[in-house]
Amino acid sequence: MLDKLEQFRDRLDQIGAAEKPVVAEGTPIFESRKGEQSYAKLADVEIFDVNTYGKKIDLIERTEGKLPVGRSMNINENKAVGDNPNRNKQHAFHFTADNCIGCHACEAACSEKNDNPAHIAFRSVGYVESGSYPDYKRINISMACNHCDDPVCLKGCPTKAYTKHVEYGAVLQDPDTCFGCGYCTWVCPYNAPQLDPIKGQVSKCNMCVDRLEIGLKPACVSACLGNALNFGVVENTPENRVQAKTSMPGFPDPSITNPNIRFQQTTSTQREMTRTDNMPLKYHKQDDGSFRSVVDEKDGKEQWWNLARLSSRENPLVIFTLFSQAAMGAFALIFLGPLLGVESLIGFAESGAGLSLLVILMAMQAIALLMSTLHLGKPKRFYRGFNNLAHSPVSREGLGVALFFGFMGAFTFFQGIAWFFELGLFNYVANAFGVLALIGSAGGLFYMYRSYRIKARPFWDHWQTACAFVGSTVALGTILTALVAIIGGAQLYPLLFDLAPIAITGLVIEAFGLYMHAKHLNVEQGEGAASHYVQCTTFGKTYMLRNVAVAINVLAVSLLGLLAPSGWLSLLWLLPVISIVLASTVSRALFYVLVIPTTMPGAFFWKNKGFEQHARDVGLADMPQVGVIPDLH
Amino acid sequence: MIFGRKDQKPIRIADKQVKEWKYTTCGYCSTGCSIEIGMNEQGKAVASRGVADADVNRGKLCIKGIFEHELFDAAGRGNHPLVRDQIHDQYKETNWDSALDTMGDKIKAIQDQYGKDAFAIVSTGQLLTEEFYTLGKLARGCIGTNNYDGNTTLCMASAVSGYKRSFGSDGPPGCYDDFSHTDCLIAWGSNLPEQHPVIYWRLKEAKEKRNFPLIVVDPRVTMLAQFADIHLPISPGTDIVLQNALMHVILKEGLEDKDYIEKYTTGIEALTACVAEFDPTSAAKICGIDEDTIRHVARLFAKAGKAMSIWTMGLNQSTHGSDAITGCNSLSLITGNIGVPGGTSLSITGQCNAMGTREWSSCSGLPGYRALEKEQDRNDIAEFWGIDPEFFPKKRGLAQTDIFPAIETGQIKGLWLVATNPMTSMPNTSRIRKTLEKLDFLVVQDAYKDVETTQYAHMFLPAAVWAEKEGVFTNTERRVNRVTNVQAPKGNSKSDFWIFSELSKRFENGHKITFPVTTEEAFEEMKTLSKGAGRNLDISGMTYEKIEKARGLQWPYREGATNNDEGARLYTDGKFATPTGKANLIPLPWVDNNEHPCEEYPFWLNTGRVVEHFHTRTRTGKMGNLNKYSPTPYMEMNPDAAAKLGIKHQSYVRIASRRGDAVVMVQLTQRVAPNAVFIPFHFHDCVNRLCLGLLDPHSRQPAFKQSSLRIEHVDQKLAAKMNRERRTY
Repeated sequence: MLDKLEQFRDRLDQIGAAEKPVVAEGTPIFESRKGEQSYAKLADVEIFDVNTYGKKIDLIERTEGKLPVGRSMNINENKAVGDNPNRNKQHAFHFTADNCIGCHACEAACSEKNDNPAHIAFRSVGYVESGSYPDYKRINISMACNHCDDPVCLKGCPTKAYTKHVEYGAVLQDPDTCFGCGYCTWVCPYNAPQLDPIKGQVSKCNMCVDRLEIGLKPACVSACLGNALNFGVVENTPENRVQAKTSMPGFPDPSITNPNIRFQQTTSTQREMTRTDNMPLKYHKQDDGSFRSVVDEKDGKEQWWNLARLSSRENPLVIFTLFSQAAMGAFALIFLGPLLGVESLIGFAESGAGLSLLVILMAMQAIALLMSTLHLGKPKRFYRGFNNLAHSPVSREGLGVALFFGFMGAFTFFQGIAWFFELGLFNYVANAFGVLALIGSAGGLFYMYRSYRIKARPFWDHWQTACAFVGSTVALGTILTALVAIIGGAQLYPLLFDLAPIAITGLVIEAFGLYMHAKHLNVEQGEGAASHYVQCTTFGKTYMLRNVAVAINVLAVSLLGLLAPSGWLSLLWLLPVISIVLASTVSRALFYVLVIPTTMPGAFFWKNKGFEQHARDVGLADMPQVGVIPDLH
Repeated sequence: MIFGRKDQKPIRIADKQVKEWKYTTCGYCSTGCSIEIGMNEQGKAVASRGVADADVNRGKLCIKGIFEHELFDAAGRGNHPLVRDQIHDQYKETNWDSALDTMGDKIKAIQDQYGKDAFAIVSTGQLLTEEFYTLGKLARGCIGTNNYDGNTTLCMASAVSGYKRSFGSDGPPGCYDDFSHTDCLIAWGSNLPEQHPVIYWRLKEAKEKRNFPLIVVDPRVTMLAQFADIHLPISPGTDIVLQNALMHVILKEGLEDKDYIEKYTTGIEALTACVAEFDPTSAAKICGIDEDTIRHVARLFAKAGKAMSIWTMGLNQSTHGSDAITGCNSLSLITGNIGVPGGTSLSITGQCNAMGTREWSSCSGLPGYRALEKEQDRNDIAEFWGIDPEFFPKKRGLAQTDIFPAIETGQIKGLWLVATNPMTSMPNTSRIRKTLEKLDFLVVQDAYKDVETTQYAHMFLPAAVWAEKEGVFTNTERRVNRVTNVQAPKGNSKSDFWIFSELSKRFENGHKITFPVTTEEAFEEMKTLSKGAGRNLDISGMTYEKIEKARGLQWPYREGATNNDEGARLYTDGKFATPTGKANLIPLPWVDNNEHPCEEYPFWLNTGRVVEHFHTRTRTGKMGNLNKYSPTPYMEMNPDAAAKLGIKHQSYVRIASRRGDAVVMVQLTQRVAPNAVFIPFHFHDCVNRLCLGLLDPHSRQPAFKQSSLRIEHVDQKLAAKMNRERRTY
């Protein structure tokens, strides 16, 4: 069965795929320059047994001999095998921060070799600065992929586009397999994977494995004009260098992915190093000499609405998550309610309103799935999303939601038969699918949550995300049911009183999560706290309004539950319903726009989100030579 | 197990399908890197790489060289000659014959009516040496105007003038190899990592192999200043005060090389008398470097085994530019540091072939460092070209910076601009804009038809660019290297060499003088002219083949030479090109004519380069992988000063001087002093609208780097709109 599915998938993959290059036998993997200089040649003499993280440096040993030595990497379908004697050792970049002059030669050499357009960069140079004139210091940081021991991109990718190779330990990504969801760009703390909105796919540093195969260092290293960038077997300190540290100011916590990069930074630094880009972050020296990111209140304390900026390229995901959660909540309610003998819900089902709601839920879930698919760079390749069920929460989320959708469809179908033809027997069949749909939704919801527990995105990496998702599921599911009840007519109004406490529970779960999250972020440092700073300033007024709205919603629902309005006054229920929908939308939009990843510091124009936004706003981005892609939607 | 998957994904790495690599020399700065352009099967340039066995760059290239293959197809290239009667008319396409006929007629008409010098020519440092030689032939030998100069007046004129005054001739005496031998290096107003990254790499390599103290004199904390062992954050425009104080300490403490001074120099008495006034205590108050540091640096420099100075625009572009160069030279001379490995006074030149124009273009004289003022030189060249020596003026005419004022006041009616863009590059550009409006006839010859000067031109001649042509460049260390034809000129554009030769036929003397068909024949002519005893600029031993094989040869390279390192250094025998054969020690009296910050204009304005751009961005502004690092103009400003004015990081401000204004984006950084700002000069309608550009009395080079400005708030939306409109490339 699985084999057949895989075959089918592979056949789909062939449609529109690029042709395989044909390589004559004996073609060199890479053509070396005449009279190549020693700086470009790999020069590892001694090799250690294990790395800083306690892993074997020999990758054949690390993978317990699962793969053979001397395997061809098939670079561009070339069957040749490189003659590099260390090709099965984990390799790493070595960066001497003391020396980098910020001349961009590494970035240029990389983009020239990989034929990248201006808006894509496998390697980027940013900087941090400190001191006061003339005691001023700028430290440039050149960063590409660190070919991590624990590649979160590989684990997270739903399409299985990533492979960590036993050759050089290179983490390589296949842009043809990628369907452009961009999840790897979320999880990578170093901004290594590059999502190209034009091609709709990700590509990234390939370690220049073609050069490595013939004993040459990567193009960026060979191009370095400051003698800052180097490359070799991991843990080796290059000639003339004295350190191989795992961190430097501005570099994210190496424990997230165990990156294969080593640093030298010996010159003295000031206590505070600032960033020139618009991220509200700076770096503060700890007593042990290491630096950690702290909030830099670049825009003061003033509070703004910025409602228009709530809209982002993640809008489809706002709709996907809210619709899915509402559908899951409502489904659980109308499926479990009658089974548990809740009379108002039995009545709801019997009146036929239940069936109407199910049709609405199917439509909502269909829209949600469509949204998440259209969010992909290559929507036609959506089926690849299930490739990595073994590791990727995104794959599992997708599967859970898809199963929920399918089983809810079956449930609706059999309930419909049972209702229209009054064939009670089919209720049992429907219930069997209902249980499966419930399991699917639980799995989908859980992995939806897991997908956002990303260490490189501290604002999301908190149990509040679970509160938000569960809270929305309960609250939105309930008010959706309530809405159908209100439209359904007076005989269903008693249901509203049963729903009120459930809705309140959902709202309180979300509110509790938000409260605890804010409390956590107020004492936290780093990117999470920076997100909270933006929340309290750039979106300060919006944030306050949302908080007040959540409180009022709880109160309003409680009040209506107590006062039990009747007749046309029952329409008062519509007020909290609308308010809850609006507050949930704002909450979810904030969730996406606020996140600040643990990426590398940018420069003043290049890799500065603030300038990119400005360039889009004023039309500079319409000129391709500015290197900023204009908004595509 | 997350890796060790058995099913292999395909590995695709970009393959540009290079079928052939073609050798050439980079066409941006004067470092002179050997570069290979990768051609695909269709003969299209698709890749660039450094030449690994070339001594200059040893396989390295900077960001601009790495993407140099893209410039052939960069936007805005000219395709057809264009003409129009009036500058408010639309251009019409025409053919070359008709365009050159018109041009010849117009030049002759202007010269007939207003005199020979009423037509001026301003060229560049970007052409090939053979083209410069040919342009010189045309300008001096056929057109006969004396108002003929190059844009090198904006960058290296002070170095030329300083070398001539100290050593009797132009020509940097040192080379990059000196980094490997020196025991102390002072970099004056030179930011190698940004301006000459490959030279910086050579310095870094030398320093890593054998460390020596690096002293950087710069008012801004550049990357080089950060890496310096001693950074001297000097007050703008006071270099000669510091130089005098250093020499004061050296002479007072008896640290000079008395033997060398005695044997090889003249003028020590006047110099000693002059520097006596510059004791470190008094000097410190002017130049902003404390007296202890002055003494420390002076002792370090004088006591080092071998010591050298390098400099770039920080010295050249000031009102004491030429003086400051002689200051560097004198520092070297009194410590015996000329013509020895590691001891030199080396200008780091700007344009790829600024040296070529200095040597062979006849801009300031006649080919091969000959002077109009010398009868013998006039006769020699007239005879060689086959014309009457009386056709030559007996004195050099106006420099570029004096040509524009002469247009303003009506002495000059016609102008021919060759590969230069004064609308962006000249100081006080709004004045230049008005000046260009006054011309009866302006011809712009350039590879790019969107160069801003075409707004005021009557004729545009589309030139081929860089390696669409054939010839040689000379780099900073006098190394002649080959530019080979990598691909055919774009569209209907023609090599400058062809244009000059064809235009010559429209003049009487053009039929007397031979204009060779190939650049190699022109090179042979130059070789003949370079021969002669005591002539340092001797290339007679070179051939195109030998040059390419050696990846560049340094002059002097005399007939029959076999040792490729023979021309590494000048004046190794202590014999200089002055009439006495001795070097001149020149006193540097100090007059402070800088436009100091004041109440109304409280900030020093400093300008300079960024690594990703070259000159006026006609090339680099169109390539995304370069331009993206600074796509719009910006200003480095001190955060403390900004806080007082309420100016925010990454907002727009209006900057204004006594001459004009501009809009820039603010980058707050402690790299600049609280009373100073730094703005890159590359952008059109920007900082050069503000510059004063007082002229150096010796070199006529403008002081771009010392003026004052004020900073004002501006409507952010309007500023953004203006910024967008001004950045069409």
